[in-house]
Amino acid sequence: MSDAPADRADADTAPGDDDAGFLEGYTTRALVGGVTVAAVVALLLAGLLFPDSLAGTLADALTSRNTLAAALRLSVPIAFAALGGIFAEKSGVINIGLEGLLIISAFSAIYVADVTGGVWIGFAGGVAASTLLAALFAVVTIGFRADQIIAGLAVWLIALGLAPFASQVIYGSPNTPTVATSPSINVPVLADLPFFGALFSASPSVYLLFAAVFGSWYVFERTAFGRWIRASGENPKALDTAGVSVTRVRYAAVLISGVLAGMGGAALSLDLGQFTGNGPTMVNGKGFIAIVAYLFGNYNPVGAFLSTMLFAGLDAVQTVLQLQGIGIPRQLIRITPFVVVIIVLALVGRTRLPEAAGEHYETEE
Amino acid sequence: MPSAVHLDGITKRFPGVVANDDVDLEVERGTVHALLGENGAGKTTLMNVLYGLYEPTSGEVRLDGKTHAFGSPRDAIDAGIGMIHQHFMLVDPMTVTENITLGNEPRKWGGLAVDRAGSREAVVELADRYGFDVDPDARIEDVSVGEQQRVEILKALYRGADTLILDEPTAVLTPQEVGELFDVLDELTAQGKTIIFITHKLGEAMRAADEISVLRDGRKVGSVDADATTQAELAELMVGREVLLDVDHGTAETGGVVASVSDVAVDDDRGVRAVDGVSFEVRGGEVFGIAGVDGNGQSELVEAVTGLRTPDAGEIRFRGEDVTTASRRDRIDAGMAYVPEDRQDRGLVMEFDLVENGLLGSQHGTELAANGRIDWSKTRGHAQAIIDEYDVRPPDADTDAESLSGGNQQKFIVGREFERDPELVVASHPTRGVDVGSIEFIHERLLELRQQGVAILLVSSKLEEVQGLSDRLAVVYEGEFIDVVDPDETTEEELGLLMAGERPGDDGGGGGEPEPTGNADGTERGGLADRTDAAGGERA
Repeated sequence: MSDAPADRADADTAPGDDDAGFLEGYTTRALVGGVTVAAVVALLLAGLLFPDSLAGTLADALTSRNTLAAALRLSVPIAFAALGGIFAEKSGVINIGLEGLLIISAFSAIYVADVTGGVWIGFAGGVAASTLLAALFAVVTIGFRADQIIAGLAVWLIALGLAPFASQVIYGSPNTPTVATSPSINVPVLADLPFFGALFSASPSVYLLFAAVFGSWYVFERTAFGRWIRASGENPKALDTAGVSVTRVRYAAVLISGVLAGMGGAALSLDLGQFTGNGPTMVNGKGFIAIVAYLFGNYNPVGAFLSTMLFAGLDAVQTVLQLQGIGIPRQLIRITPFVVVIIVLALVGRTRLPEAAGEHYETEE
Repeated sequence: MPSAVHLDGITKRFPGVVANDDVDLEVERGTVHALLGENGAGKTTLMNVLYGLYEPTSGEVRLDGKTHAFGSPRDAIDAGIGMIHQHFMLVDPMTVTENITLGNEPRKWGGLAVDRAGSREAVVELADRYGFDVDPDARIEDVSVGEQQRVEILKALYRGADTLILDEPTAVLTPQEVGELFDVLDELTAQGKTIIFITHKLGEAMRAADEISVLRDGRKVGSVDADATTQAELAELMVGREVLLDVDHGTAETGGVVASVSDVAVDDDRGVRAVDGVSFEVRGGEVFGIAGVDGNGQSELVEAVTGLRTPDAGEIRFRGEDVTTASRRDRIDAGMAYVPEDRQDRGLVMEFDLVENGLLGSQHGTELAANGRIDWSKTRGHAQAIIDEYDVRPPDADTDAESLSGGNQQKFIVGREFERDPELVVASHPTRGVDVGSIEFIHERLLELRQQGVAILLVSSKLEEVQGLSDRLAVVYEGEFIDVVDPDETTEEELGLLMAGERPGDDGGGGGEPEPTGNADGTERGGLADRTDAAGGERA
């Protein structure tokens, strides 16, 4: 009761603040988008006019169907993990263990596919492994109220150690042998389009990703469960007094994040047919870029996907250029997402985190 | 016909405490019942029993003559009980409609989607039926506190509540919103709903309720008809003895100017001018009161004086020094004590125990923390002394601040600040949310300090408090002092008009802004240093 005056002050000032925040956040995102589009258009024009210049090469790279295909392929694990992160964090559980979930599922998918000989069984195996690890994370953070950040780091470190170790034990090397991959699915006619044809001639995981993006959006915007997840992350007590178990909603959300990240990890390794476990493994920071992507996308599944495409697109262009002998250091490209997130979060600071993210919730009974 | 709600012999024991002791409560259908009591009297515990949060140790809950045993709030909700918590259970970024239907969303497509049109329709229909003014599509964070409360009530009604429990519903409302709330309650009872509201405000209980039950130390000490009782009778029931609601503040020797504020202008967080050209002086041995409806710049003014906010213009002097931009620490060291309006946010660290909380503000001092090293045994003694002196309960310095009741938290803060041996006490709503017994105690202490020659700047939205305690009283409206009056010579009606922004002698016309401090102060700033010294000497 005694902080009532503060509540009132908050309530009085909040609308103004948030309006400004929303507008600011919106314009910044619009700005980033606008600048990107303008730069691309300028580059394409320059490329058209001077086909032999650097701009011409870049324009070629950008309009190449291969670039889009590469960007999509790179996006798959990142975007899946980002969707998973959105589910967990919107429910109030910050899951920074996405990297670990990608690693464990990437390895498990190959192992199961190798043992059973079925790509889709391997895929299911990867998802199951990731979901199990997410379940462990959920029990520790929700059931035993461990710190979410520390538990998330543990998930990453466990997977980082476990996957190459298992590979070493089973295959005698941190890299697994290769398994069969599933062929691309070609949509007749559409697949022959220039540039955009890449969208219709991709591995099944890309189509699965499109479905997951739409499905996640639908869950948050249209279903009661999606509202419960939002309420659980914003004001769990409100949800509890409305008669919905916060604990159950959070368990469900974290398990969903495990399933989604698992799909990403499994797709990553199965598309290549191999798990490589040297150093940071083949996942190599994709789980952390996923966190950046959903923050940049402001917890919107579509926004997260578009941010992922932006980051992956940069990487793809870089690869194409590399092949043509124009070297932009790969390392520079790789830090772009992190630079972007620092600008977005620190300077603009208007990505609105769920109010209760990171907090434990205990019913009063 | 059986009562809508009958709590029969409810006893609730917690380890070491009897929170409710054989309480009987009967509430008739279609009436408003006020549950009145001091902080910690057991009101909320009793209602939590009715709401299914607690199972009673003994006793029965009967609704319309039928006995219920609630295992959880869910059971109580299903039985038609709705609780409006003091801290609203709303999700800020979601809309009014989404909040009202949360957990019971109308579905379509076999549950695969929320029927959004249907939800909105249900909310509009419900609001219309009870004549509520709410915008179903507005986000909670964009609507007023009064509207948020109406949303909470609609939420309960949407879940089929027949009996509504409101926990301290007026604590967060403006006077105007309180009036609107009471209209809402009338409309609800007219349509057959039963209302129980928890309060410690006598006036509100009498104004809104048909019947009033008073709890004290976990027991019910009486139920009275609201039309046939007086505030004095209720106050006596609450505290068990006669309370002096009118403070006889007498007079004290007025010393020199301790603090002066000249032409200060302060912006609020949004950059809107909240205080606009305010000037006043506070002398040793005087209580300078600032009255006004909340939100007219009082908070910003106090923050400027105490150093929590930098003024955009003007000068603040304390004991002869210009402290306009001085830090909090410098002001504390110079002898400025501050009882903040929000005790949980600014007064205490809730997770700290009282030993640690007692140190706050003295952590740089030489007494408890010489050479940067805290002397814990002295600090503990210091906290214990405050606890004993200011009757903080439980009297245990190892208690965490968050487990104290609001009134006891406040007594501890008041004790800590008053024991600083200050030259100036800035007391912002020092008795907000505090029970009658503690209010009286805090008032007495404040006047004792004044008697010792301390200057006191008192801000309160309770008229009887500022009027009763102040030697001079400024009325603030939209960031300006409307007038500075002698509280003994001014009636409540006159103050009410001033608080509503009616300037004295408005009909004179063309006179421009009144000179706020001109009529009350004759002293020039020249003699300030001497006088402060004199005041300081007196105290030593």
